[in-house]
Amino acid sequence: MRRFAAKILGPGALAFPTWAYAVFFFVVPVALVLFYSFGYKPDEFTTVATDRLSLERYAESMTGSFLATFAATLRISVLGTILCLLISVPFAYWLAVKVPANRRGVLLAIVMVPFWTNFLVRTLGWQIILSPDGFLSDGLQQLGLLSGPLNILYTRAAVQIGVVYNYLPLMILPLFVAMDSAGQALREASYDLGAGRLSTFFRITMPLAMPGVASGCLLVFIPLTGDYVTATVLGGANGSMIGQIIANQFNTAQNWALGAAMAVVLILVTLAVVAVAAAVLWLGRLITARLTRVQLEGI
Amino acid sequence: MTTTSQQAASPATTGGRLTIREIRKDYGEHTAIKRLDLEVRAGEFLSLLGPSGCGKTTLLRMIAGFEEPTSGAIELDGEDIAMLPPYKRPVNTVFQSYALFPHMSVAENVAYGLKRAKVAKKDIGPRVSEALRLVRMEGFAERRPDMLSGGQRQRAALARALVNRPRVLLLDEPMSALDRKLREEMQLELIRLHTDIGLTFVFVTHDQEEALAMSDRIVVMNDGVVQQIGEAEEIYQAPANAFVAGFIGKQNFVAATVGNTDGDTTVLHGETADLEVPVAAARDFAHGITVQAAIRPEVVAVAPGAPAGGTRNAVAGTVVGESFLGDVVQYLVRVGDREVLARVPAVAAPEVHEGDAVALSWAPEAVQVFGDE
Repeated sequence: MRRFAAKILGPGALAFPTWAYAVFFFVVPVALVLFYSFGYKPDEFTTVATDRLSLERYAESMTGSFLATFAATLRISVLGTILCLLISVPFAYWLAVKVPANRRGVLLAIVMVPFWTNFLVRTLGWQIILSPDGFLSDGLQQLGLLSGPLNILYTRAAVQIGVVYNYLPLMILPLFVAMDSAGQALREASYDLGAGRLSTFFRITMPLAMPGVASGCLLVFIPLTGDYVTATVLGGANGSMIGQIIANQFNTAQNWALGAAMAVVLILVTLAVVAVAAAVLWLGRLITARLTRVQLEGI
Repeated sequence: MTTTSQQAASPATTGGRLTIREIRKDYGEHTAIKRLDLEVRAGEFLSLLGPSGCGKTTLLRMIAGFEEPTSGAIELDGEDIAMLPPYKRPVNTVFQSYALFPHMSVAENVAYGLKRAKVAKKDIGPRVSEALRLVRMEGFAERRPDMLSGGQRQRAALARALVNRPRVLLLDEPMSALDRKLREEMQLELIRLHTDIGLTFVFVTHDQEEALAMSDRIVVMNDGVVQQIGEAEEIYQAPANAFVAGFIGKQNFVAATVGNTDGDTTVLHGETADLEVPVAAARDFAHGITVQAAIRPEVVAVAPGAPAGGTRNAVAGTVVGESFLGDVVQYLVRVGDREVLARVPAVAAPEVHEGDAVALSWAPEAVQVFGDE
């Protein structure tokens, strides 16, 4: 049986389910979206036609409101990724370094519990918290910190709070794994060689956790940029993100060609942002390597 | 060599004196170190030897600063350092796992401590070069730790600790990950380094041969308590108690009761045979008390046939095992219902094999007598 499978599928038979899945549910749909983006909407009742191919939909997508929403989306996703990172680093460090190993499982489970709850439900929960007559608003007014009701719901700020909350576990997990694998022994060696706690954190723990930082940022930034549930529930008309505009083209306007062109622009810009971030990191590493190089003598 | 590297040569010319007073370490209910006093002389190579869980690593970690003692003092040249954090102690450690920083080259690893100590930038290069030369790693300065063999990693870890010129160098079982040949090579290397730089070394090991081969003095520990402190020969030849006698080298133990003294010998009544020992050996034990008599395998003589009548300390037995170890032949001989280990130099080995009847004999002076614990 094994020999038969290997004959049909080649030596990579074990990877077959994965690449089959990836081809059918990722490569094919993305290729279709790319293809549709060169098409057009022929009439009111047809979503897309591809008998004439052009770049016209791309030109059509570049309206002022599209670009403004795009810029706002990037602001939300970049800021959201940075906030997730800043919140997660101390927590992951605490969990990996300070908490005894036998209690980490419970704490990680607590981090993950919101993730088991439906995405929409927990976002709707934030709608209740942030509403002008919600308990947060009431509490802040009673404490005298706020003169009128809290007017944050259906703004970009609400979306920002919501996305950070929704994507935080995706940052914490890889960071924790990376910091945990660096190990206590290396930190002790650093202390032993005269480095204090802060110095050890920045010279040993963080550099070794960089793969975790990178995967955490990717896991948060990419889906966050395309997120439209959080923006729909918490952002209303003022806080829309690019995902909503694209979804509108597919669902409401029934213009698949234009929606596809916008989606392709989103994919390309997301990749470009990641590439720029990677290049900056690589350059930074190159410069620090130059600066920390030990000038040996007689060797 | 340039003038600067001349000045950078000979890291740490004077070792520190370490005084450990009435130290105790509890982990909740469990006591790792009960009460320990120890003086490590300046420039000494001291080994902490004992089975796993005896407290030797805990003691080392307290000297390094990774653990705080529950009570007691650790003084380095008269100054109490027991409560200082590890990064404020003039002490460096070679870790069992080496703990080299994987994201730095060997040279960066070695320079790490100097940079933290704010050593002038122009002095860092020469000192790193010097330390790498000292451990013969100058050819590997730019390598990452994962590109090094086990022995090279150990040398790099050694250079990283030595370059800081600590007053005491702590070594936590640094040889345990090396194969036998490399281990013997590194033992000689460490002895050379110790002689060259005159630093105080505290070396933790569970390998008695390693401790015997390398140390000026050995501290034998068990159960959180020091059993004996002494030079290698002293510990081997005159163990303080049955634990030390059994832990260092091989030993035949015989439970016996102290009998009568006649002239210069005292008789011990064992289960299978009587033993005669010099009066001095059993002096501390009263008539009728149960003791442990210890006889080293290498003092037991093996002869074919039955023991001659009237010989003192001679028993009849049957060979049940024979193994050739190169320089010695080891026999396992059944005497009554127990087995006795005997080791004879290969050049003087008798013509006996498994199943043969043999006579075992030993000199009364070779028997050591310990209290029954």
